[in-house]
Formats: sequence, structure tokens, C-alpha cells
Amino acid sequence: MKKFSLFLTLILALLLGHLASPSLAQGPALREQLVYSLNLFDGKGYTKGFCPRSEDTIYLIANENNAVSARTTLVYFWPITAKYVAGFKTLNEEIEGTLELMKDGKVMGSLEKEENVIYYPEGFFAENSRMYLGEEAHSFFQKYEKATEDYYERINEYYEKMREYRDRFNEFLESLSKRREAGEELSRAQIEAEMPRQPSPPEGVRFYTTPVTKDYILNLPQGVYQIRIRARDGTIVQDSQKNLVAFVQRRGGTIGYEITPGNRWTMKESSNEPSKRIYAAGENTLYLRPFRQDEYNDLYYRKLLDPQNEGTSERWMWVHITPIENVLVVLLSKGKLLERIKRAPYYVKQIPGPELGYEILEYKEEEFAGQSPSFEGHKLEVSSVSGKGNYEFRLEKGEGKVLKGSERGILFVRKENTNLLYLISIFPLVVGSVVFIRRRRSTS
Amino acid sequence: MRSRFSFASRTTRALVRRDFLSTLKGWGLYLAAFISLLASSFILKSHLGAIKENNILISSDPLNYPLFISLVIVSFYLAIISVISISREKDQGTLEVLFYGPVNCSSYLAAKYIKDMLLYLVMVSFFVIYFAAVSGFTNLAFSWSLVKAIFLSIFLVSCIVSFGLFISSLTSRMRTSIIWLVGILLAFLAIQIFHTMLVNLEEEALSSSLLYLRKTLEMVSQGTGWINPFSYLNRGMQSIAIGSVGLYGMSILYSLVYSLILLILSVLILEAKGVRG
Repeated sequence: MKKFSLFLTLILALLLGHLASPSLAQGPALREQLVYSLNLFDGKGYTKGFCPRSEDTIYLIANENNAVSARTTLVYFWPITAKYVAGFKTLNEEIEGTLELMKDGKVMGSLEKEENVIYYPEGFFAENSRMYLGEEAHSFFQKYEKATEDYYERINEYYEKMREYRDRFNEFLESLSKRREAGEELSRAQIEAEMPRQPSPPEGVRFYTTPVTKDYILNLPQGVYQIRIRARDGTIVQDSQKNLVAFVQRRGGTIGYEITPGNRWTMKESSNEPSKRIYAAGENTLYLRPFRQDEYNDLYYRKLLDPQNEGTSERWMWVHITPIENVLVVLLSKGKLLERIKRAPYYVKQIPGPELGYEILEYKEEEFAGQSPSFEGHKLEVSSVSGKGNYEFRLEKGEGKVLKGSERGILFVRKENTNLLYLISIFPLVVGSVVFIRRRRSTS
Repeated sequence: MRSRFSFASRTTRALVRRDFLSTLKGWGLYLAAFISLLASSFILKSHLGAIKENNILISSDPLNYPLFISLVIVSFYLAIISVISISREKDQGTLEVLFYGPVNCSSYLAAKYIKDMLLYLVMVSFFVIYFAAVSGFTNLAFSWSLVKAIFLSIFLVSCIVSFGLFISSLTSRMRTSIIWLVGILLAFLAIQIFHTMLVNLEEEALSSSLLYLRKTLEMVSQGTGWINPFSYLNRGMQSIAIGSVGLYGMSILYSLVYSLILLILSVLILEAKGVRG
């Protein structure tokens, strides 16, 4: 028995020793590499990324400012995503020199680094942003710094006012208890009127500007180029040569809709072109969100977002650029106006039960205190009975001004006739029979 | 002396009339149309089932895919009957007899080509009636782009028919011709369908092996892009989807050039090999 427990202890010790061995705790292999750090315009704002040595091409949108810079960093392969990851926090060494831009092997020009900032008018987490260069970059950053300083001043004032308010409130409570002790009868309205008012906190800075950085700014017409870095000593920096594809949209500025069906609100659909009709089978509620959109090549756009992405050159994708607000959705049936629908916020309330498991309610701040709306949209209630088969909708801005390309059709399929489809396919045989009978008659 | 590509128009007309009427009076054409429309009905039924299940479906032209399936079946039929008729006439010596008369290779092949195209126009009338009836019964839109797709299909069929004529000019035996024709067309079709399927799938939904397969098919598809007759339809359908009149016209022009090149090659091969070859 003793021998057995000794053996077991030994095995356990070996196992633990093996588990604790450094081989299992080993991290991924880090390699020093020259990479291009990217800040590229994606149609609505700027996307940060990097192009490792494994990728030979950088994709960017033509005729827009795009910032690139060459850096030495530590790169490792992350098998879970099957992509290379850059450890900029560990090593982020800027490569000095000029960026040479080439086309068909000929040098078109040399670029020096330029000062730039990215300006987010609706805050850092909003999608839209713009790039500003040189003097403008400084003035935008100063504007942000000034706004932040002002905000901190207002915050200090607010804290001061809060301190004063708390003092006044305590004094008020003390005086109130004294007056009550003295036999004074005070009504609720009287107390509320005399009570000191709590100061409201200052509004934060809504916009954001990145600190001024220096990068090579590429604003190129559509085409295929090559770039490389020429060091100060006149040599070409090793591994700095990359291809560069500047592309444009295939179709742009059109109107698309994100459609949330009421019966499955988490599975959004999209109608990107007027030819895309909405086929419905029964009563349904649709929530529409109109967008301005551009169409890009799938490969180019995915590679712009991350040069390590896969993509296919034969596919095209729509990119929602900006939501269209302050418009009405006009619902028609056979050209007759049925309804003009405003955009409204909605709240999805989870409910127990065998049905959908949720209910979509119009969001009202007083009813859903502390909650934010689940989504916003124009609510369309459609049924095959009221529309007699077909509906149309479109966007109107102002009085009757229809937004071009916003028209869409809703068609209700007649599912009861599906079995007739097989019957229709027989008709060539009927024609064949007629021909055959006539031929028989003519020969006889 | 007649030139190599001169058409004896009266002879061609007589050959077209003979072949066209004999096919029109047979059952094959109607049976092929029936099978193609039956396949379309099956697809449409499952499509309507999907709308019923999800309550909503957003689609530009739900009738285009069933049209494509019908088109493939019909074009296979037309190419096969052309191959059969040429091989049979070679085997039975009819071709030799014809060539003693005012028929030459170009007028003979032109007659076969025109006959097939006329038969396809009969099929087009079946398609138009069928899809109009489907639209009326189900409320699926008979759209302007469907009309454009039907018109474009004439040029795809032109490519497939001329491809069939080209294969039959290369081979001498009927069985060999059919095996080659069906084999190559099925291979082209498989490349086209699998490639389109994989291209339309989201990258996240593809395993690494499927991603490699997609890349391989992409390369194969690019390599066979100008030879594969189905890729001409694909180009045309894309031009319809984006509403580009220029690209639509170009895809028609490409199809015509493709057909013309194959017809000229067929004439040259048939002449080089002789009627017994």
C-alpha cells in the first residue's frame, strides 16, 4: 500500500512538474519587422491598422487623405485569428527618411512627413471623422485642448458649486428643523420652493481631436502604385517596398435601408437598391433606417480595413456612410398616400412566453428611465389585406420633395398558389400535343 | 469560285427550314421545355416556402435564378441535338451527299446554328408565358431586369450552341461528341456554380479549406473566363444588377464575338478534316 501511494505521489509530482515547465507557458515567437502603420479613410472616417511584411499591398480610397508611416516593431503570429499582431507597446521605432512614390517602376515623387490630426465631430466612438493637415491640424488640436481645459474649469466650478450647495442644503435642513420646533407649519410646496437648487453638471466635450502626429500623407488618383522608404543616407530601407492600390467606389451616394423585421428584430435585412423588393408573406411590422451608401469592391475594401483580411475581387459590398435623418417615410398603395412616418426610438422589452419572447415598444424617456432605446427607425405596419398585395415607400424631405433612389416596393406573395406552379410547367407539353395531333391529322 | 465563308443563302434557308420543322414536329423540344420549367417550378416553390417561413425576403429578381436553371437545361438540349444531327449526318453519309450539291461547310454550320437559335426563340416564348403566369399567380415581380435577362439568354445560348458545333467539328463519332460536349459543359457549369456559391458566402462562414478552394476556383474561373460560355451570362447578369447599359451591351458583344470565333473555327476544322473525318 505504501509503495502504491509513493508511486502515486511520484506520478503526481512529475505531472505537476511537467505542467509547470516553461514550454507550456511559452508565448508566441516575436520577430522584429518593418511594418507600415496605417490610418486610412474608409468612406466615413479613419481606420487604424498596420501592414505586416507578409502583405505586399496596401489598399486605400483614391482622392482622400490617408496617413502611413513606416515603423520597426515586434510582430507575432496569433493562431486563433490566423493573423499577425504588432506589439507597438513593446517596440515602436519610427523609420526616418522620405517616402518614394512610384508608378510603373518610375519615381513620381518623394514625400516628407506632414503634421496631421483626426477630428471626430461627434466624439471618439462615432463613426465619422476627418483628417486635417498642417496649420489646420494644430488649430483643431488647440480647439480640442481649449475645449477640454474649459471643461475642466467648468468641472471645478461645478465641484465648488456642489460644495456650496451641500453647505446651503445642510443650513436649510437645520433652519427647517428649527422652524418646525418653533411651531411653524410648512407645506410641501413651500419647502420645495425654499429648498436650494442642485447645480447641474457641465456638458462634456462632444468632439475629439487626436494629438498632432507626423505621417506621410497619400492623396492619390485611382491607380496602382509602389512605395518605398529612402533613408537619410540615400539607401532604400530594406522591406519597405509595397504595392499600393488607390481605388474608387463603383456606385456612390445612393440610398439604402437597414430593415428590422418586427418578428425577428435581431436579424436585420438590407435593401441597397430600388430593384431590391421586399417580399412578405403575412402581416408584419418593419422598422426602416435609411442611409447614404457607397459600393466598393469587396477585396479592396476588406483589405483597406485590415490588409490581412481575405476578400474576393468579384464581389461588391455596400458601405453605409451616413444615416439620413430629418426625413419622412411615405407609405403608398397603388400610388395612393397611406401614411407619412417619422423616425422614432424603440425599446425592446423581453417578455416570458412561447411567442417571440419580446415586445417592441415606442421609447419614452419617462417610461424607460435609466434605459436607452434599443434602436431607432421609421415604423411601417403592413398587411396583405390593407395594401391589397402591394405597397411602395419612399423618403420625403420637406414638403413632398422625394429623395431620388429611395423608392422601394413591398410585394405580398400569394403562397396559396404555389402548387399551381407545377401545373403551369405542363403547358409546353400541351403545345406539343396540339402540334402532334395536327401533324397526325395532316398526314392521315 | 466560292469563298470559304460564302453562304448559299437559299441552301442555308432550306437546311434551316428542314431541321427546324423536323425538331418542331418532334416531342424533344416540348419535353425539354417541360423539364426545364418543372425544375424552375421546384426552385420557385422552395423560394416561396422560404418567404413563408421567414415572413420576409428581400430580393431584386427572384425569377432570375429559375430562369438560369431553365436556360441551362434548354441550352444543353440544343447543343446536344446539334451534335447528334451533325454526327448522324456524318455517319450516315448525308453530309457527303449534301456537300456534292450547293452546300459548303459554312452554309451547313450556319444552318445548324440558325436552326438552334430559332428553336431557342420558341423556348423564349415558353419562358415568357411561364414567368408571366408565375408572376400573376404568386405576385413575384416580372421585372424589367427579367426581360433583360431573357434577352441576354439568347446570346448565352448562342455561345453554347456554337461551342456544341465546335466540339462536333472536332470529333467524328456521335458518342464521343456527346461525351466531350456534356463533360466540358458540366465542368464549366460546376466551376461557375461552385465559384459563385463560395464567392457569395461570407468569409467568416468559410473554413480554411473552403477558403483555399475559393481561391483555386477564382483562379480557374479567371483562366477559363473567356472560354467558359456560362461566364458570359454571369457578366451580363452583373451588368443588369448594377443597371449598366454599357456593360450590358459589352457582354452581348462579347457573346457574339465568342460565337463568331467558334463558328469560324468550326468551319475551318470541318474543311480541314473533310466530310468523312
